[in-house]
Amino acid sequence: MVKIKGTNKYKISFLLNQTKVEVIVKASAILLDVLREDLNLTGTKPGCNEGECGACTVLINGAAVNSCLYLAVNADGKEITTIEGLVNNESELDPIQNTLIENGAVQCGFCTSGMVMSIKSLQNYYISKNKSAKTKIAPTNQEIKKWLEGNLCRCTGYVKIIEAAEKLLTEKV
Amino acid sequence: MNFNIEIPHSIDELVLTLNKFKNKNYRIGAGCTDLLMELKNNSASNLTIINISQVDDFNFNNVKLSNGNVDIGANTTAFKICENENILENYKTLHEAALNLASAQIRQVATIGGNICTASPSGDLICALMALKAQLYIKNSLGENREISILDFYKGVRKTDLKHGEFLSHLSLNSNNKNAFKTKSGFIKIGTRKSMECSVVSLAYHIQIDKKGNIIETGLAFGASAPIVKYATRACDFLIGKKIDSLSKTEIDTFAKLVVEYASPIDDIRATAWYRKQVLFNISKSILEKNIEK
Amino acid sequence: MGELNKLKVIGTPVPKHDGKIRASGKAVYGHDIKLKDMLYGAILRTEHPCATIEKIDISKALKLKGVECIITAKDIDVNNIGYKRDHPILKSNEVNCERDEIAAVAAQTKEIAIKALQLIKVKYKVKKGIFDPFEALDLNSPKINSFNSGKFDNKNIAEVFKYSHGNIEEEKSKSKVHIKRRFTLPRVTHACLGTSNISAQYDKISGKLLLYSSTQVPFLYQRDMAHALKMNPSDIRVIQPVIGGGFGSKLDMYPFEPICALLSIKTGKPVQIIYSRKEEFLASPTRQPMIIDISCGADKNGSFTYRDIKIIKDNGAYTSWGATTPFVIMQAFSSLYKVAACNFEATAVYTNNVFAGSFRGYGNPQATFALERMIDLLADELKMSKSEIRLKNANFKGEITGQGLHYDTCGHKECLETVINKSNFNKSTKKSKEGRYKKGIGLASMLHVGGGAKIYRSDGCGTTVKIDPYGYCTVISGSNEIGQGSETVLAMIASEELGISLEKIKIINTDTDIKPWDVGVHASRTSFVAGNSLLGAINLLKIKLNKKAKELLDSKNDDFNYENGCIIDNTEDKSINLDKVVREMHFSEPNELAIASYFYEPSSQFQDKEFKGNVSGSYAFASQAIEVEVDTYTGNVNILNVYVAQDVGKVLNPLLLDGQIHGGILQGIGYAVSEEMIYKNGILQNPNFHNYKLLTASDIPQIHFFPIETNDKQGPYGAKGVGEAPLIPTAAAIANAVCDALEVEFLELPLTPERVLKAFNNKKKLIHEF
Repeated sequence: MVKIKGTNKYKISFLLNQTKVEVIVKASAILLDVLREDLNLTGTKPGCNEGECGACTVLINGAAVNSCLYLAVNADGKEITTIEGLVNNESELDPIQNTLIENGAVQCGFCTSGMVMSIKSLQNYYISKNKSAKTKIAPTNQEIKKWLEGNLCRCTGYVKIIEAAEKLLTEKV
Repeated sequence: MNFNIEIPHSIDELVLTLNKFKNKNYRIGAGCTDLLMELKNNSASNLTIINISQVDDFNFNNVKLSNGNVDIGANTTAFKICENENILENYKTLHEAALNLASAQIRQVATIGGNICTASPSGDLICALMALKAQLYIKNSLGENREISILDFYKGVRKTDLKHGEFLSHLSLNSNNKNAFKTKSGFIKIGTRKSMECSVVSLAYHIQIDKKGNIIETGLAFGASAPIVKYATRACDFLIGKKIDSLSKTEIDTFAKLVVEYASPIDDIRATAWYRKQVLFNISKSILEKNIEK
Repeated sequence: MGELNKLKVIGTPVPKHDGKIRASGKAVYGHDIKLKDMLYGAILRTEHPCATIEKIDISKALKLKGVECIITAKDIDVNNIGYKRDHPILKSNEVNCERDEIAAVAAQTKEIAIKALQLIKVKYKVKKGIFDPFEALDLNSPKINSFNSGKFDNKNIAEVFKYSHGNIEEEKSKSKVHIKRRFTLPRVTHACLGTSNISAQYDKISGKLLLYSSTQVPFLYQRDMAHALKMNPSDIRVIQPVIGGGFGSKLDMYPFEPICALLSIKTGKPVQIIYSRKEEFLASPTRQPMIIDISCGADKNGSFTYRDIKIIKDNGAYTSWGATTPFVIMQAFSSLYKVAACNFEATAVYTNNVFAGSFRGYGNPQATFALERMIDLLADELKMSKSEIRLKNANFKGEITGQGLHYDTCGHKECLETVINKSNFNKSTKKSKEGRYKKGIGLASMLHVGGGAKIYRSDGCGTTVKIDPYGYCTVISGSNEIGQGSETVLAMIASEELGISLEKIKIINTDTDIKPWDVGVHASRTSFVAGNSLLGAINLLKIKLNKKAKELLDSKNDDFNYENGCIIDNTEDKSINLDKVVREMHFSEPNELAIASYFYEPSSQFQDKEFKGNVSGSYAFASQAIEVEVDTYTGNVNILNVYVAQDVGKVLNPLLLDGQIHGGILQGIGYAVSEEMIYKNGILQNPNFHNYKLLTASDIPQIHFFPIETNDKQGPYGAKGVGEAPLIPTAAAIANAVCDALEVEFLELPLTPERVLKAFNNKKKLIHEF
């Protein structure tokens, strides 16, 4: 990270969806705005800008974080994954996305990016937990609900989202 | 929102930065989840955020055991606290408070130091740490250290004993009595929903019992019912020496009344003072009643 | 239409047609639109809910670098908006509620636009506002809305609805029991995850205005916009980007939309306005709050005799669709369960509060709450079981209600029986007297339109369907998608009827310049109306295709099957590829397009002046039995199980249907226990998700859904509308359950922990003085 002389700006660099990016940001810049405005990744959604709805959830070093309450300068040197980064090189969606679609867990879709990222972080958490475990374990229904408590959805009543996450995470952790 | 930022990368750099800014308008930001919300709502001019989240120091960022104490660095995230097995086993009230803090996303970045120093009257981690009588360790811009009990740290609504130029470096837990045979420790958080609540009333308790079933140590604090999180000394003292399994209904009521004596809640958008007191009374009882689990 | 027993696609769990776009972050919502040279608009709202404006000084703001345009009322030549035309787009002399728009800025960045707002100085003369509709009705109170037409005898009355059937006095004399209550229903809001937004692009040379708008009624909106701006409607093109939730909130046009258009017209550049979350809470329409006075009776056998209802609705400062919710409310009171006589009067009263709009259920959750509470009270008074009294009075097939609704099909009784059985309703009444946690169960039903609602002269929908020379089908539908899944249902219908696989079907439905006319997304009408419209278009298209196929196959038949991309003559075992038929139509004489258009108008009636008539093509019924557990230490209501049976006519897509049920029920639970806009002197105290409590994933109960199929011949494949129904009886059933658990009564919503604890403590005389 380099401070741009005579300004209140920093040049930061980070790994964004597996690709190194460099961007100049104001000291007070918020990660959500940098992603949407400077880097044109509009899949991450602005739902409330106050850390209450989770629509802006992204992964930072594999863990879900509200990008609306995250200083862009703190992204420096980190690995950031947005919803756009879950599509692989063959343009296939991540199994999480497909499972949500197949289970009817997507309605208006505004919360979906954030939901997907939260489920992804739960998957990451269990994969790393299972690496050192003798027997593989999957999150319970209660744990999934707890993990998704910070992602509001006004359309689905969460039922299908939780069902989809449960189905996926029983197999893929 | 417009501010300058300083990003120290070590404790030494942090001390130097504080020294440089000691006569200026600055705020320390760790996870910044509360701070950014505050600044988004009313942005001050000429403000510098001393952003401590990039301080690379193991003790500052983690939980560790030292000489039987559990030391928690100020920059330890709520997530790390939830994950720590020692805290889960020995200081369950803190585990539960951390686990019910905001959301999974917030817990990834929000820190224990941030929660302590924001000094919210409903601060969940503060409440648990008071029940555990945590000792706070503070450093100043000259690198000098001092310590203070969390019970003495709060001076008024969102006011702490932390002076300009000081920062919280870590805290230490050592409230478990060696004669304790079992511990009744937990955190009760009351709100409309099961998640994402700012406590309307909270209650942290840590009650240690010897082999004979006598209560030998107690810690009990509650949040959101006074200008600061309150420690209920007289209620704690009342229990000492009593048998946990044979408390009478009157004793339990007396205990709960002693807790409520410390409450001076206000009416606000989340609840009335009336409600807070009633619920505080009820949940205080509940921790001593048998079969409190459903 | 395909034979019901041979359906291949309809009735199967087809995932959302546009699911991949939405789940991959590629969908373009209004928030994601960026146009060349686009400016950012922002709106200055009043600081006081009731004041005279003495001066507006924009001079400093105009000097700010990057500001391109500022408008106030004196800069614009426009008409008032709202169906009563009582709402100025920008306020000049007076402000009358917290959300009132005074000026608007267009600037090069969002930050500059917001900074400019802070530089506009408004001098107010603050007046005491009137926030209570009863105070507004006082003859000494000042006139609140100066544009009120004065059609009614009180200057602050905006709208009155009166309805009656039967002889109330006669029925009263037949009654053994009478109950009278006053219920108060709160203000709640849609809280769509995607905030309100619009991007306007005016072209000065052509004089045409292009709007990227999240309206759910694009054609009515186009007309309203044209009226407001004094333009020709056809010079306005409305394109709907992907919409981040609707639920009724986008049924009307609000000031920010013509304001954005005006900023674009003034600057000649595209302008975008996106609400912040706070603005969304402050300046979106709300559910209609109301006070319901109701008395009703039953005879000694438990038959309902009469209902006498007087409602006062807080209209807010201006009139939007909230004022018209009595269309639906009176239907619930007149026609849910048999009732011999009904008197109904609803009055909308101007106040200095914000105004209410339409919200999923359109007054019905409020009405159903009052009615179903009363039924429990009647049952108690008669010492009758709460299930028995409902079954006894349930609606039935063939019934023509006092209001003139024709129940050609009716699943009411089956819905009731299903949830009563599945929930063990009659056995689960044993209660423990001691203990902290108390369980209870409550029952409620609902009636809602299921086949559109003819509240305009037409309730129609147009569709054009075409097949291209490669065998792909394009459906151009007047209806639109707001997340509910209408595109998927239309694609399924086209696939079913034309034998074309789903991935070869495209739905075009976002552009008023292209799509045929339609009333919009409301009244749970889209699957019913747009589905029937598409079926009509396909029938016309098949006449053309059949003719060509007959010629090409040299077949004696006139009737063909459409399967796997082929047209098949089963009697002669011959078939031809659909794409080949289309190519032959295009390329051989007489050359013809494989395209057809159809306008579907439901058989329903426009109601007469007494609000009588068969307003919908079919009627949907539902019952819910909800089991709760109340924590008597904290007042928290834990919803354990929701048993829901709904007469959906026919399940078109079980996956999407589940989604409507679950989502509706959770909104209903929120209405029952957690959601409330809290005002103090007209100022909203909780304009954020922190204190306006949407339920989270941790709060969901077990939902047990039992679809009831009554196969209404009016509906596509027998289907009825389903969208609004799931939330309508939920709050009523929960309130009944909590009353059952604690043996107390509630007269208002939501049942917050505080209200519940207070009621319980009062009942038990648990008074702890501290």
